[in-house]
Order: sequence, then structure tokens, then C-alpha cells
Amino acid sequence: MAKRKNLTQSPVRQGNRIDCSREIKFSYNGRWYQGYKGDTVASALFAAGKRIFSRSFKYHRPRGLTCVSGQCPNCLMTVDGVPNVRSCIQPLSQGMQVEHQNAWPSLEHDIFGMIDRLGKFLPVGFYYKSLIRPKLLWKIAEPFIRRMAGLGKVNLKLEHGDEYNHRFLHTDIAIVGGGLAGLTATVEAIKADADIILVEEQPCLGGTLRHRVQDIDFPELPGLSAQEVADKLAETVVSSSSVSVMTNASAIGLYEGNYLGVRQGNELVKIRAKQVIITTGSYQIPLVFDNNDLPGVMLGDAVRKLIHYYGVSPGNKAVVVTSDDNGHGLAKDLAEAGVEVIAIADNRPKPDIDHSGVLENPRVPVFWDTSISRALGKKHVRGIEIVTSKEASEYQAPLKLKCDLICISTNSQPANSLLHQTGATIEYDKHTAQPLVKNTPAGVFAAGEVTGIHDKNLNVLQAKVAALKSCQNLGILRRKKQLESLIDELEQLEITSRSLPRVHCSQTVPGISDKRIVCYCEDVLEKDLNQAIEEGFRDIQILKRYSTVTMGPCQGKMCSAAAIDICARATGTDISQIGTTTSRPPLEPVSLGVLAGSVHTPLKRTPMHNRHVNLGAKMVQVGEWLRPHSYGNVWSEYQAVRERVGVIDVSTLGKLDLKGDEAAPLLDRLYVNRIGNLKVGRTRYGVVCSETGVILDDGTISRLAEDHFFVTTTTGNTESMESWFKWWSASTNDCVHITNITAGMGAVNLAGPFARDVLSKLSPIDLSNEVFGYMGNVSGLVAGVPATLMRIGFVGETGWEIHFPSEYGEYLWDSIIQAGQEFGIRPFGVEAQRILRLEKKHVIIGQDTDALTNPYEANMAWAVKLEKEDFVGRGGLRKIKGLPRSNKLVGFVMKDGTVPRDGDPVIDKGVAVGRVTSARYSPHVGRGFGLAYLPDYLAVQQSDFIIAVNGLESLAVIVDQAFYDPEGLRLRG
Amino acid sequence: MQLFSKEAMWDRKPLKDRYRIVIIGGGVHGLSIAYYLGKHGISDVAVLDRSYLGGGGSARSTAIIRANYVTKDGIPFFHQSLKLYQDLSQELDYNLLFSQFGRVELGHTESALYALRIRSEANRAMGVNSLEIGPETVKQMIPAIDMRVGKTFPVLGGLYHPPGGVIRHDAVVWAYGRGAARSGAELHPHTEVTGIRVDRGRVSGVETTKGNIDCDIVVNSTAGWCSTIAQMVNIDLPIVTMPLQACVTEPLKPFLHKTVSSANLHVYVYQTDRGEVVIGGAVDPYPTYSQASTLPMLETLAAHTLELFPCLANVNILRQWGGLCDMTPDYAPVMGEHPDLGGFILNCGWGTWGFKAAPAAGMNIAKLIATDKAPDIIRPFAITRFKEGKLVNERGGAPAAAVQ
Repeated sequence: MAKRKNLTQSPVRQGNRIDCSREIKFSYNGRWYQGYKGDTVASALFAAGKRIFSRSFKYHRPRGLTCVSGQCPNCLMTVDGVPNVRSCIQPLSQGMQVEHQNAWPSLEHDIFGMIDRLGKFLPVGFYYKSLIRPKLLWKIAEPFIRRMAGLGKVNLKLEHGDEYNHRFLHTDIAIVGGGLAGLTATVEAIKADADIILVEEQPCLGGTLRHRVQDIDFPELPGLSAQEVADKLAETVVSSSSVSVMTNASAIGLYEGNYLGVRQGNELVKIRAKQVIITTGSYQIPLVFDNNDLPGVMLGDAVRKLIHYYGVSPGNKAVVVTSDDNGHGLAKDLAEAGVEVIAIADNRPKPDIDHSGVLENPRVPVFWDTSISRALGKKHVRGIEIVTSKEASEYQAPLKLKCDLICISTNSQPANSLLHQTGATIEYDKHTAQPLVKNTPAGVFAAGEVTGIHDKNLNVLQAKVAALKSCQNLGILRRKKQLESLIDELEQLEITSRSLPRVHCSQTVPGISDKRIVCYCEDVLEKDLNQAIEEGFRDIQILKRYSTVTMGPCQGKMCSAAAIDICARATGTDISQIGTTTSRPPLEPVSLGVLAGSVHTPLKRTPMHNRHVNLGAKMVQVGEWLRPHSYGNVWSEYQAVRERVGVIDVSTLGKLDLKGDEAAPLLDRLYVNRIGNLKVGRTRYGVVCSETGVILDDGTISRLAEDHFFVTTTTGNTESMESWFKWWSASTNDCVHITNITAGMGAVNLAGPFARDVLSKLSPIDLSNEVFGYMGNVSGLVAGVPATLMRIGFVGETGWEIHFPSEYGEYLWDSIIQAGQEFGIRPFGVEAQRILRLEKKHVIIGQDTDALTNPYEANMAWAVKLEKEDFVGRGGLRKIKGLPRSNKLVGFVMKDGTVPRDGDPVIDKGVAVGRVTSARYSPHVGRGFGLAYLPDYLAVQQSDFIIAVNGLESLAVIVDQAFYDPEGLRLRG
Repeated sequence: MQLFSKEAMWDRKPLKDRYRIVIIGGGVHGLSIAYYLGKHGISDVAVLDRSYLGGGGSARSTAIIRANYVTKDGIPFFHQSLKLYQDLSQELDYNLLFSQFGRVELGHTESALYALRIRSEANRAMGVNSLEIGPETVKQMIPAIDMRVGKTFPVLGGLYHPPGGVIRHDAVVWAYGRGAARSGAELHPHTEVTGIRVDRGRVSGVETTKGNIDCDIVVNSTAGWCSTIAQMVNIDLPIVTMPLQACVTEPLKPFLHKTVSSANLHVYVYQTDRGEVVIGGAVDPYPTYSQASTLPMLETLAAHTLELFPCLANVNILRQWGGLCDMTPDYAPVMGEHPDLGGFILNCGWGTWGFKAAPAAGMNIAKLIATDKAPDIIRPFAITRFKEGKLVNERGGAPAAAVQ
């Protein structure tokens, strides 16, 4: 990499992610700025000198870039109208509109910043302990509190477009994480010819190798820099035809059955993998010290990313706080980037020998046994206070140093959420102060720093072993010996590694200030947690819920370790006993749009739809279908059917075709009626019940041939009946084909005194009562169209239901209308049909029945043939029959002129004891009438009852028979 | 002043070997029962939970409070509970952050409107504030909602229930816990019941992971796990445990001030005081005791939410979780002493309607224990109703439908 001086002064930046030859213009709060291709929103803004990136959730404290990895909430901005965008990972694009959030008038001067000074009056859980009395106080205060909440703004004008997509993939091995371990595992698996998907959340492969550039001693590729190792491994992976590499892709969850959800841009990719290797690495986490959220306090890796990825100078004078060699590498990076490194504060005691070469640079003073105690400054770091531990001799008093950048390069946390989700055993290890992966479920492996082990040699070995074991599970491992020796080697190395002494840095450094932030997202302070524990919230789970620590946008990534540490200390419990807060999917924030994909639920239209529209029908949605409600005048439609002839489109009926020797036994098992004895050419009304005897559906069953039935279902129940039929057919292994032909067949019902006259003009079929009687069926031609005709009478008049291939829909409709002209035919809609059928007391499933109605309540006892051999619902129905009936569906006519509405309550002694299921005005009766559920005692003992119509009580008289043509002479005529 | 008090909510005490009453389940129901027992002067009570307090259904509940149920038995019971909730912050001296901003249930089809009308009419007849509203009023109340016509699920109208709202569920658990502890009940989290002892047709004690306890009365208040507890005394409950999943978005500036639900879409949505949008769905159609969340359900919740609020398309989901629902055949709870086992009190079958009922359930179960007589308001919910065929048909009232 080229030598650079102070990068902020350099006109051209150099970073391995950016292309300075391609400028990108974007606006921030209405002003135009410039960045380069490859920049993120945050890197470009940082390069432009911005230091405050957000205001915190509760106290409106200024926040600056902290993690540069999309994990913390400190850089959330609104980008192109999208709220809460992590600007540090949001790629910059031409003309982008970026705005700050949650501050007014600006991030630099936010008047709500005064809340920070009121902190004393806002102790943890203050809202639970205040505004209680008088009762009205909360009602008044709540709207104001609501107004303060939230971060980004919703763009109410936004539409859910079709830019989202879902994709499904299958693979032998899915490897999550393309760092050193992931790449190594991939390379090993390639050798076994496995089919691999490698998922990497960064734009390029290599992981930490791309920014911890000095930190490598890779045994297999000696003499190469970290960048070169990454390039070498990545090249092998990318050039292999058996690997598909997904970059910019975040794993959002690993669900049961190795079902891996990955978000890539606007796409949700769902991967079913036979084996999964998790190599998601680890990430640095902040320390808790006084003023630890001050802009200018950054994680070490964040600083390295700014330098190496984006060529941005992170500051002028830096202090590195560390507890490992990694921090010393960072100091070198800083120095090379032209940043003056004032000091390194290393938590470890001074080593006897400089095994890592960190002491080579004499210009940087290293304070051993030292940690940070305070960040100095108001809106940005202006200095640091470091303190040497009491045991060490040299620096006792806190030492103040001037600087504008504090790099925290101490503790790391394994990114093990995916493993947690799979139920892997992860135990806290005191020796290394890391959660170690002890066991993973079958088909899931972990390798690299995600296992809690931070040792490159070990990590590489883990990766190789994981890859080979996966291949072994797949049955494609050829090098069994190699696997055995690698496992041996790994075990040896683990033992050696465990014997090394460890110094780890406590997550919290003692201090005096109130403002020691544990949780950046929710502004939870250390003292908040201590107080909550004092109040009895000792369990980490309850502590979380009470203090809201770990519950914000970062979901505990930044703060769970510190919270656990504090909880352990305050409760006097061992950290290993505290447990963790549950990490829940999605493990990376993912938008509702991506999750939903592009949704297409088109409305269904019948084959005659356009005819209805042309006739000016008012359409209504029934289930997923559009149906004519009426063609303008319900009463004349009613009149036409009763006095002349009418036709209604009933194409929406569910239609199932059953063929096979065992079709009859299956239907006998599914319907409570007897079906087996149905003769060819006959049709029967049937009822389907659940196991418990609840009515699921009704319809007609027509026997077209010995082994061929045509079944209709209620419009809204087609799909559920189809699966119900198939479920039972499969479970009993019947020899029957069930085909849903609903969309393939159109249907009309032609009914009325002149129906026969109309139909006989169109069809050669003998329609006489003697040949084609009530409940008969015949297949033949209607207007030259092959059709199945059923003589049934839902509306109570002579009528035929005619089913025909949908493509003839408009032609047949026109033919019928034309043939009916001379008889005064009228098309009728569902509203007229409802009145017509109600006058016949024919029930509609779902309208006059509910989720618990049984046939005995709904006057369908006649249909139930308990004496039949076993059928679905027989047990339940037998039991119900033996019990006193609780409800009864009765017909009623109003005594006065009122017409109740569907759903009006039946009142007895001031209590709503039942309800009207259907009610209309009956032209035949000349009054309001309908069906209602009454408690059995009312239905049996009384001849009338009370309905609350629009809140006013009206008397209804029970009518036992059908309201119209109770003998059924007309529909049989 | 309470604001600055650091008084412990409850003390940790060693488990004794005898209590008069053992309540299994330290969720909102168990703690509520213990609290109201205290009001009857009964303090020899232990609440046991195998995990932390309120860690089961209470922690996972989306805490919607409403009383717009369907049946003559359900409406007064849930109405009583709603009224108790309205005064609960003062009663327990703890701000439970009850956002009583009203609830709107949307209808997208004629039949859905009919189902809503059944409820509004029954509610009105029984004195619960609940009314039908047209599309214009819906839009007025919920400006963010998509009112375009011609889509698959157009908003045709709704049921408005002004006293409905959302409460801070954890706070209810803690406040009841504190109240119970102050009146002498002992709270024992992380104490799992492994067996129940029976002596001559009565319960005589429980066995736990922390030792055995003698007692006269055992209350089974374990929601999703209630059938497993009943199994310990060989009682088969007509209850199936099914999961229900929910998810929550990142905090957003307030834009939605009602709880909104849709029976057609099997989804309900509201925005908390913190700005997060909470989204819940229907019960998953399979029985399980696993609380793991699934990707297909998350996709469904997202798609259905966007059907109502397309403006949320670019809003991020932060987390998803699952909870258990102990579903009864009639979607009504089971309360009362078991007829075949003296001292074994059932408070279960709380399905998706448990949190709403906690105050009334606690008060009435406590009264049952104190007076040895089931209060009239909970009599219809006795376990014997399944034998007698006297179901309390609340299935039209619960948001969870379509379970066959």
C-alpha cells in the first residue's frame, strides 16, 4: 500500500474498498457531499469531517462512529427515506439523500440533549414508579412520552413494491462466514468435490485478514501478508466451479433442518443445506468506563477498517487501549496512516521478552498494566485518562493525555448467535473468559473465532476438521486418515493452547461518573443495572426486561457481555452461572419487505365475469372470488326467479372430481350421510364434519359412474376441503384420484317456473320430471357444450345446476340469456339468492354455522347416519347426540315491521344468549325473517323470543317449517 | 418517594417443606392468584416456577387487553378483567403503562364484517363498548393504513373497541409479584415441579427439584405446559398446546395509535410507547411444546403486515419469538377445582387470551380457594363442560382461527 501522510489533508484517499476514480455525489441534511465508489455513507461523511452521527435513544447524547461493522446503533440515519439505516455498512450511491434522526435542530446542537442533564430524575424503570396517581396523570402524560420515543420516521407514502424477491437453494455444505476459517473450510471441502455455498456479509472475502493486516503468520503460505493470504484463498474459492459465493449476504437465522435464511440486498435466500459450517468469527466489543460513548471512542477494528477499507484518517492523535498484541498492530497501522499515536495502554503486565515484536517502535510509549478510566471531552474526545492497576508499581495516579481518538481494542465476543439458535452447547470458560462451543447438533459445525478460541493456527485446524467431517457425513470423504491425524493435531494444540497464561480485560473499568453506558441502543447505564439488581431483578432475563439492556437495535451484540459481567459482580454469582440473554432471529435486522417478498394474491374471476360487469353488476368479494351482488334491483331479480326464470353464476363453488374403485368408500367415510348406496345418475346433499362432530362443509355429491363422483363444496372452503379429502385418502391409502377442477369448470344455476322451457330450447336432454327428476344428474350437451346437469334447488324452484368447461362460459351465458328472453329471464346475484334460499331455510356453512356448530343444532340430524360403519366425526356425533342439546337453529318471522341484521343478538333476561345468523325482508312472508341460534330451552319452551334490532328489543316468532313452499312441490315440479 | 426507592421487589427465601397452597407457574396468572389470596388474608402460599418469574407465556405475550368477546359467559368475565386492569396501576402502586388507545379489528370481506357485527352486537347488549365503524372512520383512526380498493384484502370496515389497549406485560408480572410477596406469599423461581402427591383422592404435596413440599391445595397455572402438569396426576385435559409467534421492529417515531388486527389476514399490529411495532399472528396449526420461531411464519407475518401497512416495507424486524398457547376446543379457559381430585385447582386453557384475563382469573380463583365455592362468573368455565357438552363458544372471538 502506498505511503500516506495525514489522509484528511490528502485530496485523494486510498483504501482497498474504494475507487477514487469514480466520484459519488450525495446529500446530507440538504447539503451536497462527495465520496467514492466503494464508500459507505458513514465513511464518506467521516472523510468529510463529520464526527457526530446520531443522538442516543433516551438521553440524546452525541454518538460517533463506533464499530464500522453495522452492529452498534450509533450511526443510524435515514437514507432515501428508509429509517434506521446503519450508515457504516450502507454502500453509497449517486444522488443518495441522507438525513440525521432523533435530533433537533441538528446532531451538533440537539435541544433534547438537555435530557442528559435530567438523568438523575430518570433512574432505571422510572416510568414504572411515577405518573401513577391521580389516574388521569398517565393518560395526559403518555402522548408526550410517545412523541419522544422512536428513532427513524416512517414514510407513510411508501408502497410495497415488487423490488423484493425470494429464492430457494439447496447445497451439500453451507459455510457462513468467509474469513480465514470459512475460506480454509471451503478450500478443504472443494477437494472432496462437495457442492458449497459460501455466505459472506462483507462485499469481499477475507474477513479480518482485510483490516488486521499485520496480524498474520499463516503456516501454509509463509511470507505472505494477511491481504495476500486472503487473496490467495479467495482466488481458490472463487475459481472453483463447485462453490457459489454470496457476498453482501447476511445469515439471518439457522432454523430446524439446517434451513438457513440469508438476506442479500432485497432478496431473501432460503438455503436447505445438508451440512452447515459456521465460521462467523468474532467482533470487538466496547468497554464500560466514564464517558465511554463519547464520539472519538472507537473500536480498534473500526479504526482499521476506516484506514484500510476507505482510506480515511480516523484522527490526529490517538491512544490505543488494548489487552492483546492486536492493539499493537493497530498502533502500527495508525502510525503508518499518519496518525500520531500518543500511547498504548495495555492491560497486561510488561512481558519479559517481546515475542510479538510490539516493543520495536520506541517512539510510542507503552503503559503496561494500564487501562482507560475516562474519556475527556464534551461532544468529542479531547483527551483520555488512563490508570495503572494498584498492583503495578510505576504509574499510580491517573494520567491525563491529550488526544482526539481513543481506540478500544480489548475484548472480543464470538458471533455465535447462529449456533445458539441451533441449540449448540456453549459454555463460559473462565480461563479464556470466552464462551466456548462445546457441542453442536448433527450436521452443524463451528470453526474459527466463533468457537471462542482466538488462535489462528487452531482456527485453521478447526476449519479443516469441520470441512472433512461434513464431507464424511455426506459420504464423500476420501481422506479418512487425514481427518484422524488432523483431529489428533487439533487436540494436541488445544491442550498446549490452554496451558498458556491469559490476561483478560474486565468489561467494566471502575470509575466515578454517572455516565457509564452499558447499552448504546437504550442508554442503559451501569448504575441502572446495579440499582435494578438491588431492587430484586437479579435474574439476567428479568434484568434485561426491566432495564431494557440488550433489547435495542443491536440486540445485545455490543452490551450483553458487559451486562452479564455486571450482573455477576452485583449478585455475587459466577459468570458461568449467569446464563445469557437469548439471541433471537433474525440475527441481522431484515426488513419486512424482504421477508414478505413480492406478494401476489390476485382476485379470482369467474368465466362470465365480463358479462356481469357489462350488465352493471355490483361486485362483491366472496372468499377470494368476485361475485355479482346484484344487477341493480334485488327485488326484481327475486321476482324473476319466483315467477319466471333466473340464472346465477355459481362457478365459484368448489368442484372436486373423484375417480377410483374406492371413491365411494372414501366418501362414505368423509360424509356423515350414506353415499355408497347413491345410484349412478343421482345426486345427494351431504355434510362433512370434523372428528369432534363440528360441521366443516356441505355440498352435493353426484355419482356420474360406479367409480366416478363429482363433488361440490362451499366457495370459501374449496382448498381446505381438497386437503381434507386428500389427507383422509392418503391416511387410509384409498385407491382414488382427487382432482380439484374448480377453476376448470364454470357453472350456472338456472331456476324458476320456466327453467325447463329455457333449457329445453338449448339441450337435447330429456328434462321431463319422469326422466330427469329432482336430485338427478345427467351429462349431455347444452347449447352444444358438453356439460353435467344436476337437478337441485338451492333457491326452492325447479332448477338445474349446469357445470361446463370454463372456456365456454361467456358463450353459454349468452345462449341461456338469449333462450330465456321470451320467458323474461333475469340474471340474479348473491343477494337475491340469499333471500331465496333463506325462504327455504337452506343454511350457508360459515354464515349459519360457526366453528363449533354440530348437525344436531343446525337441524341436520337427518343427514347423520350413525348406524353407518365408522366415518369421520362419528365418535364426536354419538357423544353429542347423547347430551342435552345446548343450542338450536330456528327460523323466525318478526312480529313487527323491523328487519334484523345478520349478527343481531337474541336477548333473554338482559343477556345476549344467542344470535341471528341470517335475516332479510321476505317478499313471500311480507316481514323480516331469518335464522337464529337460540339456547335450547328458549327454542323448545317458547314460541317467540326477543331480538335486539339496532339496540331495540323486537319480538320474533319461531317458525318450524320452511317459509316458502314447505312441501317442496315447486322444486320437485 | 418511590421514584428513588431501591427497595427490593421481593425477597429470596429458602423453600419450606410445607405451605397450605402451592401455585405451580410463576407467570402473571400464578402471581395474580397469590396476590388476591393475600387480599383474603391467605399468605401461606408458595409460587413455584421452573424458570424466572414471568418467563413463559407472560414474557411472550403481546399483552393486548380487550373485552370484546362473543359469549354471554366470556363477555362479563373479560369485562371484569378489563375493569380491574384499568385500576391496576393504582391498586398495585406501579405504573403498568396501560395504553388504552383503543382497538380496531378490520374486516376485509362481507363474512368478516358479519363476524365483527356478531361481536359488536353481543358486546353492546352486554354493556361492553364496541361498535362497527366504516372505512372512512378506519382511515381517520389509522392514517397509515392502506385503503386502496380492488386489492385482495380491501378494508371494508371494522370493529372499534375504545377501552382496548396494550399494557406493559412484564410490569404486570412484577407488580403482582411484589404485591403477593408483600402479603406474605413466597416466590420461588427456578424451582421445577417434578411430581404431585395424592392421598385418598386429594392432593397432598408436590415434588420439586429443590425438595418436597406438603400442601393442601395445588393450583395448576402453567399455561402451555398445563397438560403436562395434569399428567402428573393422570388427568387428561382436553387441551392441545400450540405455538404462536410474534415479532417486533426497530423503534420508529409514533405513527400508529391503535391496536389493529385482521381476522382475514391473521395478524395484529400495534406500536408501543417505545416506538417499536409489535406484530403477532395466528396460532401455528400444529401441536408442539417448542417455542422456537420459524422463518415461514416470519415471512407470513411480514406479508400480512404489509398488506395493511405497505409503508413499513423498509422497516427492519429486530427479533421474533414464539410462545405456547394451551388451546381448548371452544377457545374458552378452564377454571375451577377438578371434580375427581380434591384440592387440584385448574387455571388453564388460556390459549391466546390469557394475559387479558389475569386479574379476573386471579381474583376469582383466589375467591374459590378462600370460600371453597366457585364464583358464579367462572362457573361456566368448569372442566365438566366438556363432558356435559356445554361449551362456551368463544371461537368466533379469538383472533386465532382456522385451526381445524
